[in-house]
Amino acid sequence: MIRYALTRLLLLAVGLAVASAIIFLTLRVFPGDVAQMIAGTNGTPEQVARIREELGLGRPLLTQYLEWIVGVFTGDLGTSFLTGTPVTAELADKAQVTVPLGILAMLVALLVAVPFGVLSAVRRGRADGTAISVIAQGVAAVPVVWAGMMLVVVFAVSLGWLPAQGFPTSTGWSTPWLALRSLLLPALTIGVVEGAMLLRFVRSATLQAIGEDFVRTAAAKGLTRTQALLRHGLPSVGLSIVTVLGLQVAGIVVGAVVIEQVFNLPGIGRMLVSDVGARDLEKVQGELLLLTAFVLVIGFVVDLLHHAIDPRQREAE
Amino acid sequence: MSFPIRRVALLAAGLTAALALTACTGQAPAPEPTEVDPDATLRVGLVLEPTTLDIRRTSGAALEQVLVDNVYEGLVTRTQDNEIVPALASEYEISADGLTYTFTLHEGVTFHGGGELTASDVVWSLNAVVEDAAYVGHDDLAGVASVEAPDDRTVVITLSEPNQNLLFTLTGPAGLVFDEGDETDLKTSANGTGPFTLESWAQGDSITFQRNEGYWGEPAGVGTVTFRYIPDFQAGISAALDGSLDVLTPVQADLASQLDGVNGFELQRGRTTDKYVLAFNNAVAPLDDPRVREALRLAIDHDGLVEVIGAGETQYGPIPSLDPGYEDLSEVAPFDPERARELLAEAGQENLQLQLTVPSFYGTAVSTFLVSAFNDIGVDLTVEPVEFSTWLNDVYTNGDYELSMVNHVEPRDFGAWANPDYYFHYDNPEVQELYAAALAEVDADASADLLAEAARIVAEDHAADWLYTAEQITAVGAGVEGFPTDSLNSRLDVSGVTLATD
Repeated sequence: MIRYALTRLLLLAVGLAVASAIIFLTLRVFPGDVAQMIAGTNGTPEQVARIREELGLGRPLLTQYLEWIVGVFTGDLGTSFLTGTPVTAELADKAQVTVPLGILAMLVALLVAVPFGVLSAVRRGRADGTAISVIAQGVAAVPVVWAGMMLVVVFAVSLGWLPAQGFPTSTGWSTPWLALRSLLLPALTIGVVEGAMLLRFVRSATLQAIGEDFVRTAAAKGLTRTQALLRHGLPSVGLSIVTVLGLQVAGIVVGAVVIEQVFNLPGIGRMLVSDVGARDLEKVQGELLLLTAFVLVIGFVVDLLHHAIDPRQREAE
Repeated sequence: MSFPIRRVALLAAGLTAALALTACTGQAPAPEPTEVDPDATLRVGLVLEPTTLDIRRTSGAALEQVLVDNVYEGLVTRTQDNEIVPALASEYEISADGLTYTFTLHEGVTFHGGGELTASDVVWSLNAVVEDAAYVGHDDLAGVASVEAPDDRTVVITLSEPNQNLLFTLTGPAGLVFDEGDETDLKTSANGTGPFTLESWAQGDSITFQRNEGYWGEPAGVGTVTFRYIPDFQAGISAALDGSLDVLTPVQADLASQLDGVNGFELQRGRTTDKYVLAFNNAVAPLDDPRVREALRLAIDHDGLVEVIGAGETQYGPIPSLDPGYEDLSEVAPFDPERARELLAEAGQENLQLQLTVPSFYGTAVSTFLVSAFNDIGVDLTVEPVEFSTWLNDVYTNGDYELSMVNHVEPRDFGAWANPDYYFHYDNPEVQELYAAALAEVDADASADLLAEAARIVAEDHAADWLYTAEQITAVGAGVEGFPTDSLNSRLDVSGVTLATD
């Protein structure tokens, strides 16, 4: 187990190193730079050149990259070219929106996927089971943006139950109810769509479990099919869910980038979009590295969990 | 990044309207608030967020819009009609030769940080712009020979040659007055003399002002102002409808009906100097041929375009109606596709293919209109939406384009047509001379006449097409009084706004 964990950890480190280089280089390929954005449509070429020099944009790429990486190890992601604030502090500030949003979305996805997925598998071939499958298929195909718009129209504009957009930035999580309220609709949006996708995995995993020998044996011993499934089948279903959930994290991160635009949430996703537009590369590379690290670490944890739970994998070692 | 959201926004707009109708039944009208609350919080929704607060070194209307007049002030400022009026200067005098400007400062003006305003603060602030090329407006102050303070209350600006635009430049970022030697980090905080102090800036979200209790002039009408930045137009409307905004500006024309008379909101339509310019790269073939440029202009039904956009007015020349030198030039490019086809035939360009490079956040309404208008005269137009920074790099800096469409918001920016290096690459010595003469002209009316003459030449050369001047729609909620209407894109003075609550 320890050897396995160490191997995976090494892979994680290599993955991050490669990702950091790719992020750094890809960003330099973009046309346009932050100096041009600062100078705007009234700036003269001399002005742009001067700003560029002040920001240190002309230094050799390798120097810039090494400085960045050394900084990363000391928790210093550099300073935003535009705002002059430390990138680490900005990220921490925006994370108070994006991280809870991701967790909430994940919870919603699980709440949608697990009970309905199992139900649709157990009730396969009947009207309700088929209905769930069909609805899930439809919902999974809905673009997150559109789902968000519809939820706003119903719950914020017509019913007035929840805010249509924004986050209480001035008070943050010191007013937990206000903060939570502002994240409910966005989390619901991502969660329902992601949940509908997850549901199909849960359903097929459950169907597979129903067909497993040990469930059939249990049923033969006098348990009802549902009892047998719940007692013996679900642990193996859980295993599949953990794996798929790990993959869904990437989907939720992408969903957050989109949904933060729709709901005007000052999170990492919205910041990323506006920073890319403004070519504030120092910030963009920090944001991308953090998001990449997040997805990679989740993958790492999932693998470890998987390894720990699944007896077959342990035996194979 | 934004086009799918916009498309969905249109879809959602229809649905919202339908739902709003059903939601109205059973709801009693809200009681009209009457009591003006001097300590109220005014919540204003805006679209374009500044990227930094450093107004001295960053150009861009979003920054000027909220900071000038509210937080920072200059010697002079301008009204919604673009007229120049005194601000920190109680009065000013211009010598007969137009070379010496003498300003007298108001008494008892203090900076938010506590420092007292003296003439040497003004000298220090203006000299920084004159001397340092990195400051916004440096080029506009190129003719300033000296800025001096004969005493604590007097500032004298001496020019090497007359400059009709000097006062106007002083109403912008270049003319703002800062506390001498102050070390406030202007990127994230502010220290001005205005009716509001900067309370906080939550980047990507909002900027908050507090009333400056020690303000030298009329105190602001509300205690707090929060500018909420909502880049998505539909999200802005939702925010207004769910009660989290008192004012929303601008409202996209095709969505405006959702707020018209709904929940106490009323629409104000204001004039702007926002010129949607269809730029022709005058330096590259076949656009270096005036017949081709004229043909393209004649193919555009400008009245029809304004109708499609849903707001705005036609503008056939480089100067909009709010700026000096404006005249109606509609006869220069009337809608005449027949003549356009003839011109193209004369120029031997019957199977023309052109590319339009446009920043992606402008949406597709205008470019779709142009594609079909040009198609009608046998010109095949392809549209290439690009990110704004790509546009700045490729089109603006490198001049690598055929056609481009951008909103030029700055007032009095005719100078671009007298600058052959500007991305239009329009080079006409006559226009350059007339513009120089207009700047050097001491009499304002005579200067405007020279500008009008130059503008007519530019229009007749078909150096570009001026698609339309935008109109700014503002949705003002119940209880809000005195919210400005015109030129809001570059100047949003909220000190005179009051808010009644119940």
